[in-house]
Amino acid sequence: MMSHITQSGFRLSRRQMIKRCGAGFGALGLTDLIHRNTKAATPSQSPIVNFPARAKRVIFLFMNGGPSHVDLFDEKPALAKYAGELPKEKTKRNNKAGYWPTPFRFKKHGQSGVEISELMPRLASCADDLTVIRSMYADEPNHEPGLLLMNSGNQQPIRPSLGSWASYGLGSENENLPAFVVLCPGRPVVGPQLWSNAFLPPQHQGMSLDTNEQDIGKLIANLNHPVASRREQREQLDLLRQLNQIHSLQRNRDMELEAHIKAFEMAFQMQKEASDVFDLNRESRKTRDAYGDTPFGRSCLMARRLAEADVRFTQVYYVTKSSKQPWDTHNDNAGGHIKLCRDADQATAALISDLKQRGMLDETLVIWGGEFGRTPFAQKGKNKSKPGRDHHSDAFSMVLAGGGTQGGLMYGKTDDFGMHALEKRVHVHDLHATILHLMGIDHEKLTYRYSGRDFRLTDVYGKVVRDLLA
Amino acid sequence: MALDRHGIFERMICPPPAKQAACEFISTLRYTEANTSPQTHLQLPPPPEKPLRPTSFFFVATCICWIGFPSIQKMDSVAQQDSITVQNDKGGAKKTVPRPPQDRQIEFFESRIRPVLVQHCYPCHSDESGKQKGGLLLDSRPGTHRGGDTGAAVVPGKVDASLLIGAIRYEDFEMPPEGKLPERVILDFEKWIEEGAADPRTAELAAAGRGATVNAAKKRAGIDWQSARKFWSFLPPRVRSLPPVKDPAWPNNRIDYFVQSAMENRELHPARSASVRELNRRLAFDLTGLPPGEIREDLDQLTDELLASKSFGEKWARHWLDLARYAEDQAHIVGNNQALFYPNAYLYRDWVIDAFNRDLSYDQFVMQQLSADLVAAKEKRTPGNQELAALGFIGLGPKYYRRNDLAVMADEWEDRVDTVSRGLLGLTVACARCHDHKYDPISTQDYYALAGVFASTEMYNKPLQENPQPEAGKKSGKAAPGKTLHIVRDTKKPRNLNVFIRGDSSSKGPIVERRFLTLLDDTKQPFGDSNSGRLALAKAITRAENPLFARVIVNRVWTVLVGKPLVGTPSNFGELGERPSHPALLDDLAARFMQQDWSIKWLVREIVSSATYRQSSLASSDSMQADPGNRLISRMNRKRLTVEQWRDAILDAGSQLDHRIGGPSMDPANPAEKRRTIYARVSRFQLNSMLAMFDFPDPNAHAAQRSNTISPLQKMFALNSRFLLEQTKKLADRIQQTEKKLNDEEFIETTYQLLFQRPPNTTERSVGRRFLENDSDSSGSKRSSYLQSLIISNEFTYID
Repeated sequence: MMSHITQSGFRLSRRQMIKRCGAGFGALGLTDLIHRNTKAATPSQSPIVNFPARAKRVIFLFMNGGPSHVDLFDEKPALAKYAGELPKEKTKRNNKAGYWPTPFRFKKHGQSGVEISELMPRLASCADDLTVIRSMYADEPNHEPGLLLMNSGNQQPIRPSLGSWASYGLGSENENLPAFVVLCPGRPVVGPQLWSNAFLPPQHQGMSLDTNEQDIGKLIANLNHPVASRREQREQLDLLRQLNQIHSLQRNRDMELEAHIKAFEMAFQMQKEASDVFDLNRESRKTRDAYGDTPFGRSCLMARRLAEADVRFTQVYYVTKSSKQPWDTHNDNAGGHIKLCRDADQATAALISDLKQRGMLDETLVIWGGEFGRTPFAQKGKNKSKPGRDHHSDAFSMVLAGGGTQGGLMYGKTDDFGMHALEKRVHVHDLHATILHLMGIDHEKLTYRYSGRDFRLTDVYGKVVRDLLA
Repeated sequence: MALDRHGIFERMICPPPAKQAACEFISTLRYTEANTSPQTHLQLPPPPEKPLRPTSFFFVATCICWIGFPSIQKMDSVAQQDSITVQNDKGGAKKTVPRPPQDRQIEFFESRIRPVLVQHCYPCHSDESGKQKGGLLLDSRPGTHRGGDTGAAVVPGKVDASLLIGAIRYEDFEMPPEGKLPERVILDFEKWIEEGAADPRTAELAAAGRGATVNAAKKRAGIDWQSARKFWSFLPPRVRSLPPVKDPAWPNNRIDYFVQSAMENRELHPARSASVRELNRRLAFDLTGLPPGEIREDLDQLTDELLASKSFGEKWARHWLDLARYAEDQAHIVGNNQALFYPNAYLYRDWVIDAFNRDLSYDQFVMQQLSADLVAAKEKRTPGNQELAALGFIGLGPKYYRRNDLAVMADEWEDRVDTVSRGLLGLTVACARCHDHKYDPISTQDYYALAGVFASTEMYNKPLQENPQPEAGKKSGKAAPGKTLHIVRDTKKPRNLNVFIRGDSSSKGPIVERRFLTLLDDTKQPFGDSNSGRLALAKAITRAENPLFARVIVNRVWTVLVGKPLVGTPSNFGELGERPSHPALLDDLAARFMQQDWSIKWLVREIVSSATYRQSSLASSDSMQADPGNRLISRMNRKRLTVEQWRDAILDAGSQLDHRIGGPSMDPANPAEKRRTIYARVSRFQLNSMLAMFDFPDPNAHAAQRSNTISPLQKMFALNSRFLLEQTKKLADRIQQTEKKLNDEEFIETTYQLLFQRPPNTTERSVGRRFLENDSDSSGSKRSSYLQSLIISNEFTYID
């Protein structure tokens, strides 16, 4: 069992050291610098890492609002047959408008025959790399609890997020960059709680960037000095280092004081590396075109650059300046999805094939989906001729690619109408358990002692869906 | 709600050994009861009241459940019956049918039922898997019959009463969660139950029953309160006799005897006394959060002045606000609806500042925050807003999404119980929401006894004006939060809560009367129905006989001043918490603190007057070697400035700090804001990035202690942020203004005096000169850069 925090003690354990000196960027890296002469423990020696990790990193593309499973990945011919009829069961949302078939055609794709609707033509060309979980289910058809559940495993806002757990469990591979980055062209519903570290140490909080900003200086706060050149800043840092060393020498080279000296040097290195990684102008025109010049497209491209730089967990939120949840298509579900899928399809497909081409897909898990799905029955809004679909948490689809997943797989089944996940059901907790498993973490062992109890991402739930593993 | 999705109500995760032990005794209890009272199963059931489900052809009396288990003696009389009496589905005439051959039933179980149980149920409901979700074990006959939290899984002969069927039919629960079983299998189960649920798994029973009996006996006896109360933190603190010390010259007051004695036991000596300059800086930052002024030789007099200054309350209020999880909004905004926000939260913050400044006794301080309204009512007077503002302690707590939902309200009550119990008592009572506390003597009943108080209390926006004008278009009675005080009041009718089994609000256990923790009040006297019970709770918490109340706050105050706690887990004084490094010292201080009428200022003065506090932070090599963690306090701890102290000190350096006290909060991201950092708006939704970066705690929950992180992001803020660059300019202006045309040497000298109250040493002079002489332009940018380096240096950031 892993060690817990003890707030005082005679000697600092390695983990305590990480906690005390842990850095926003490069938690383990900083510790390693301090123990330059000792052999620093690597994450793979951590007791929570029980399996060979298949996914070194994760890119989670989050479709805020809830994409419609019956229009994208889960074809339901019965909806056409019973169009307009009312569901026989009691539903959580108003179903008076009756079942509503998808206006989009589905086709089998790739050698595996994964079924995808015509809304996602480019993603369909990656069919053999995709694992479509069609039997997802969550607990509540409301955004707030749905978002929190999908991102933190709990419906109330006081638990660490998935990315924070991954950062806490595995640390950072790149000491100059944070382990958990959130790319957010706008502000999703719920907001920063979705990437909160909650009670985990602060360095595990997601660093969120407003990717509407293309200017690197605005993208990351305080990344560069507004006036001073790099040479001038180096001079200043040299002065600072000397003053700090004089101070530290008078104090027996206190380890904590020394950690500050290192942290300044790291900040200086990081300014350079971060400036490079977050600068999309270093990509060719062709590549940028492939992802598409939209906030989501640019964020996906940045996610790939972060993956190359070994960022552990990157989350891209599909939001815009004007909408906190564009996929929430209560009105004109069909029109909305046509518009949303245009860049969602292009950028997601570009990301997957780009990673594949670079030989990185095997160790990068890409996740695509939202907090829930949408009702198989219609919701009549203002424009009666263009119905929408309401929130639906009893059945929806999530798509996985790479990172040790099988690919070319349709997993699980919903009932004839797409109302309920029926076979091989996968709860959000199960998805979390599986994601952690792919990262080499036993979800039952990744715990943190807080307020007298051991907390887990999956609480007391979660089962690894082994059928998805390659 | 989420909880019953899997039909699992076990919410909390406990460390594996504990979990196992808990499972063990729960299962033992189950087995033991099944073994000792089989007659309950032998009673014939009353005729069914509900119509039977269509698949259920006839109704079999429960007695046949024991057929096939002749090994259990008491059943023999039943098992020997040749026929059984059944009722047809119309509930009409009884008829007698031949009993199906026993072997055939067992065979049916082995071929059709057991494999399904093993494959689909055992992973979560068996001894072997170590899991018994929802308290249910399906790997033995008694387990299967007895069922889990919600009742019997299988009632032989009664398909309707068997929860297992509802679960696999996806009616009550949805089991197994990974997918519904085929209809054919479900029909098998129904048939099996109809025919008496033959189940030969007695070997399993025997195996599982062994070894767990001891625990079961323990469990039935319940918590042994008498021995539980012998734990160190549950014994009343008392004034201790002073331990002998070898060097009587060192101690300055009682504290020092305990500290010195512990050191001498380890053959350690205290560090030398810190210099007057160091102590000036230490006292100023520790007591007021601000850098020192002119160096003062008389430290006792300085201490008195600092204690009397209004900045004292501003510094100490912030420590309290951390543990009160003070914030001015919620973690979420639904649309643009800010109805749940607390725009006037600052009135509570200002109350806390004022309370520290007037040295309101700590017991009254807490009494007011829990029950100012009820205290006034009892004294038959109408309390003013000033007084009621104290109730923000509860009244500014988080409100979650979908507040009309019982499960959501249960989460809010947990927040209140958690904040009160960890914050004031150092007890993790919230652990007992779903099951008895695994380590401490706190029962689930205790939890719901406290939660009931908060269930009888509601969040209340009280209009600030006596007779508010109803706003246009708004119903009267509900004032907009903008013009109200955010407090609490009793609900119209106080209520007692049921125990929610495993924390699930839809699964109700016995009702518990509102009362205090059994551990701290063995009379279990209910709080009564005249009000919510907040007043009685406040009295119970703050009475001198409560062994935890004084200890916990003394440890917190000690931590702020000395830099490390006496009890390493300031909000957990239970079994899993750390033991005090100096138990007698903690006791002595706590007991005397109460004698001194709970005066925080007395406590602060007592600690900072000690020789312990006045040690140098420079460790001797002995001290470093024998005690690297400084548990024995053989030197003073070097303390890093909090983000509040750091920002305030930077503003102060450039003479920018605005010393006004109280009032609405400001946005610390605004560079024009010069007020002290305690006045920064605190958001649960998005905490200001500077605060968050520098270890300000998440205000969504009680914070026991701040972390201390060192990160490159912090350093980028120090190097590049607008705040730092602007304040550096102000400092440069200040230095240039006060002195005429300084040369580099004079500039360096002035700077050191101003920032560190000391002259620079030779090395510092030459390093500084070298940096400044290369100034390529005369605009003074080099000097700004130099000043910035000093402000972000370790010397500025640490208190020796």
